[in-house]
Amino acid sequence: MYVQLFFNHEQIRTMSRVKRRTTHPPYWHVLKNVQRGDEKISSDNLRFVREVIQDKYKNKSPIKGSDLDIEKTEWDPKTKRSGVIARNIGVQHMWEKDGKKVICTVLHVLDNHVIRYVPPEEYAKSIIGAKVFRNRKPLGCLVVGAEAANPDRFTKQYCSLFNEVGLLPKKRLARFIVTPNAALPPCTPLTAGHFVIGQAVDVYGKTIDYGFQGVVKRWGFKGGPASHGATKFHRRGGTIGTGRDKARVWPGQKMPGHMGSEKRFCRGLKIVRINMKYNVIYVKGTVPGPTNSIVQIFDTLLPRRKFTEAPPHPTYFPPEDGTLPQEDIWDSNLHVFGSPSISV
Amino acid sequence: MLRRAVLQTFRQGLAQSFFKRYAVSLTETTVTHQPIETSNEAGERSVPTQKTGDESRNTVVVAPPEFRFMYPEFLPDPAMETRNRLREKLERMDMLQRRSVIEIPEFYTGSIMAVTVADANSPNKFARFVGICIQRGGSGLRAWFILRNVVDKQGVEILYEMYCPLIQKIEVLRLERRLDESLLYLRDALPEYSTFPLDMEPERRLNNSVVPINPLKVKLRPRPWLERWERQNLQGVEDLNLPQRFYDKAEKVAKPWEKYDLMLHYRKTIPAEEQEKIFAEVHSQLQQQELKRKLRRRRGPDNEQ
Repeated sequence: MYVQLFFNHEQIRTMSRVKRRTTHPPYWHVLKNVQRGDEKISSDNLRFVREVIQDKYKNKSPIKGSDLDIEKTEWDPKTKRSGVIARNIGVQHMWEKDGKKVICTVLHVLDNHVIRYVPPEEYAKSIIGAKVFRNRKPLGCLVVGAEAANPDRFTKQYCSLFNEVGLLPKKRLARFIVTPNAALPPCTPLTAGHFVIGQAVDVYGKTIDYGFQGVVKRWGFKGGPASHGATKFHRRGGTIGTGRDKARVWPGQKMPGHMGSEKRFCRGLKIVRINMKYNVIYVKGTVPGPTNSIVQIFDTLLPRRKFTEAPPHPTYFPPEDGTLPQEDIWDSNLHVFGSPSISV
Repeated sequence: MLRRAVLQTFRQGLAQSFFKRYAVSLTETTVTHQPIETSNEAGERSVPTQKTGDESRNTVVVAPPEFRFMYPEFLPDPAMETRNRLREKLERMDMLQRRSVIEIPEFYTGSIMAVTVADANSPNKFARFVGICIQRGGSGLRAWFILRNVVDKQGVEILYEMYCPLIQKIEVLRLERRLDESLLYLRDALPEYSTFPLDMEPERRLNNSVVPINPLKVKLRPRPWLERWERQNLQGVEDLNLPQRFYDKAEKVAKPWEKYDLMLHYRKTIPAEEQEKIFAEVHSQLQQQELKRKLRRRRGPDNEQ
């Protein structure tokens, strides 16, 4: 008869050793924003700077699919497509055809452009690439930027990242791991049409920052009784260890501390509506992060929700003559607001 | 940043349009001038010196100020953390789409309404409920209202979401307002104040331009109550006849400085400039929908003949 005398601490304590978040950028990041002091620049010089910026970036007409030289590649189920940078602009309630209410998160796909493609061999040599593909076949990396901004506010080193491409510097950059057949040339625009109605996506973002939180909110402890004579013990943790094994507090003991502001995934969220005119995606469910925060959207890696048919590969290009095939695309299960009321 | 002058004029405009449209039983207040431009006539009136002279007089569509009372759900939730212009705009477009299918009439707390909803469990697949609107809230597609009635001596309250596609019809049987914005005290009132016949006919309004205020003072049942009504400054309730200690505690607990807190009111409302923009965007479509409905109503009885 085996009696379990010792509580297995290893299972729950290992992840506590992993560093949860960093608040500084990695060492290989270039300094991004200009550390502007009290710059006494004359109005003439300011005007000149603005003219220079306009000259450098003018005549940039919207990039068409035919201008870019994209290799004709076949889609296969093992292809990994690019992802997209979007902003979580809030939550909207919609209804299905049987009257059931559905909470949808509205994601606004910003002005994404591909900055650079790093082929697999080169990416595997980089520090992060080596770590990711240590025992695997290496894949390529697409650097995508979103939200163009005035070059004035960025440093020269940061703007140099965009010089090759000739685009206005972007506020946000992201890397997406892609298979070589889904590689895109620089300057390719990525829009909401990159996704398909009914597909499942993974959304990656930084969770809401709750600050320093107590043990009840942070770990879901029950605390103590509200009354019945409880003296100063309503939301506290209680005991933090036994006296017996090891006779100390184990590392990873759940205690109050900083909660939130961590990068997390929400996997398998279904796309129920795409608005091509405003570049907006409605996704069923909620997404990490507060309203107006930036998220990354990828095709899901959950095996049972992956693509069975080919999506827009390697990405979607609007028709050349400027006409949109359909402005607002709805999922077949969703009740369109302009249609008659549901009668059960 | 909201200009103090505009905040004042906005509040004056609010108050004035309130009184202009709704005060039948209340005494007439001296209205000097209407600072917010509503129609072409406003240009003829004297413009107050508070407004800056730089504002260009282009022809801009401005909705009448009554819109903020008739369609309060078009205004977004004022909490700054969740505001986003694009999402609000898309939500408004969806709301207008829904309104093109079903008529969501103007109503206020205190109006008696009938709502028909598609219900799978009901014998003829539709369920109709008549009740008095005791509360309304929410913004955008989440807008809701609560109807209360007493059926077989049992008080019943139903919360309806205004834009739910299961709703087939919303009728306003009696359009009126009460002295309070929230009639939750009807739960503690005598049942006759919440009872309305389920087969009530829609009442015709004598005067279409003004919404009457019903100055009814409701009698409450003896205590215990669900809430401390003596702390809530209710106008529509008869004298509560409580021992003095209740009123003393109410005074102790009261926050009389809140009515002077400008920032608190600023944070709870959408600024006047934004309200004008929102309603200007929505105004023409709503008008078109109303016209279409009026035509349909006029043609309806003609076609039957």
